[in-house]
Amino acid sequence: MSWLLRRNMLPLHSNSLARRPLASPPPLLPAPLPSPRETHLWYVVPDQLKDASLLNQYMDLLSPCERQSVLRMNGERLQKGALLARALVRTTLARYTDCRVSPKSFKFRKNRFGKPEVEWNKYDLWAPPPLQFNISHTSTMIACGVALDLPIGVDIEEKQRKTRNNILSLARRYFSPVEVAYLRTLADLESQRHEFIRLWTLKEAYVKALGRGFSGAPFKDFTIRLEASNSKQVTGESKSDASRIVVEAVDHPGILMNRWHFALFELNNSHYAAVCMERDVKDPADRENNSLKLEVWRTLPFVEDECVTETAAVKNIIR
Amino acid sequence: MASISGTAIATSARPLFAARAQVAKGFSGLKSVSFSIQRKSFPSVRLQAAPRRLQVSCAAKPETVLKVCEIVKKQLALSDDTPVTGESKFSALGADSLDTVEIVMGLEEAFGITVEEESAQSITTVQDAADLIEKLVEGKSS
Repeated sequence: MSWLLRRNMLPLHSNSLARRPLASPPPLLPAPLPSPRETHLWYVVPDQLKDASLLNQYMDLLSPCERQSVLRMNGERLQKGALLARALVRTTLARYTDCRVSPKSFKFRKNRFGKPEVEWNKYDLWAPPPLQFNISHTSTMIACGVALDLPIGVDIEEKQRKTRNNILSLARRYFSPVEVAYLRTLADLESQRHEFIRLWTLKEAYVKALGRGFSGAPFKDFTIRLEASNSKQVTGESKSDASRIVVEAVDHPGILMNRWHFALFELNNSHYAAVCMERDVKDPADRENNSLKLEVWRTLPFVEDECVTETAAVKNIIR
Repeated sequence: MASISGTAIATSARPLFAARAQVAKGFSGLKSVSFSIQRKSFPSVRLQAAPRRLQVSCAAKPETVLKVCEIVKKQLALSDDTPVTGESKFSALGADSLDTVEIVMGLEEAFGITVEEESAQSITTVQDAADLIEKLVEGKSS
């Protein structure tokens, strides 16, 4: 299979290729399905991948079309990132199928707005789980969120990301007036930059959950902010302040779009991450005050998986 | 300045665009500005023949494409020897959504135009951006 790769794509050592034919990959750690109101987030850190033969294994999982897309990326670093993204999606989804569907077998299609979704084969004796997923990447991390049956959007951004344009100029151009006003209350430029990035990830996650593309929900038309909530404190909840993240249309302030709930947190000490998930309006337990649950794994598919939910890798969660 | 042999040159005399970001937005009295490319070395830009179009306007001029390449390379911090041409797709260059809006803002500032979000959605290549820019600039000066 390795001859399909462009020879100068990776610094492959010919010895290792000659010795090791492409064996079938080791099994993946299966995962139980997400429960209601729960998002599972799997992330990979490209720099942790040192083994070139692993890249071959990942390449082997992709469809011919995906392979071509990877090779069209400009340069080795971008190609590796694109390859890891596809491998992450395929391996992550496979974990939820009880070993019935291999990563290589998945098929994908786009909804009419271009949002990717799983296209399941027909099975006689098994109903595939209605998995919803969304991916996001930066040059130093790729994340894949999974939920059951309800649309989900994920966005990650490096905490240290610098913008070329002035933060308030960007905000005035793309954010809602309420959001701009909030950013202006922040005294120093660093806080402004951090809050801009956090707000950006939330807005991106929302638009991606909606699945209608960037122009389907223009950033200027909606506000995301914190709202004081009236919920009783649930024991075990890590945050003690009674605030939640809400979204409202600029044209209808005060009317919250309760169909969506959010989580914003820091991931791996390097990134801000935002998740937006649709609420199940039919479920009486999914009332507006019940917040999103989160389980997070760091992974290097076929090599190692580590659940990092209750660790320092996931912190400062706001829902 | 290298000789430009592409077929995308408009025949009528048209104003050129300022490379500097001093072109203010909302400059409705804009009739003509001077243009200069200042760089240490020329990127390896291959000028493609403009695709046939049914509408009256031509595909963007090479100077516009070059300027867009410059702004894109700066935003994405690409090295001088990274090939960026009219055919380059933003996604293949590693631009994410924040990069894209920053590039759009950079283009708005450089060319004195405003790009609507719907139009921005349809831009996938450098050439698309350059064509849109010329359409918008033409709309302003007419």
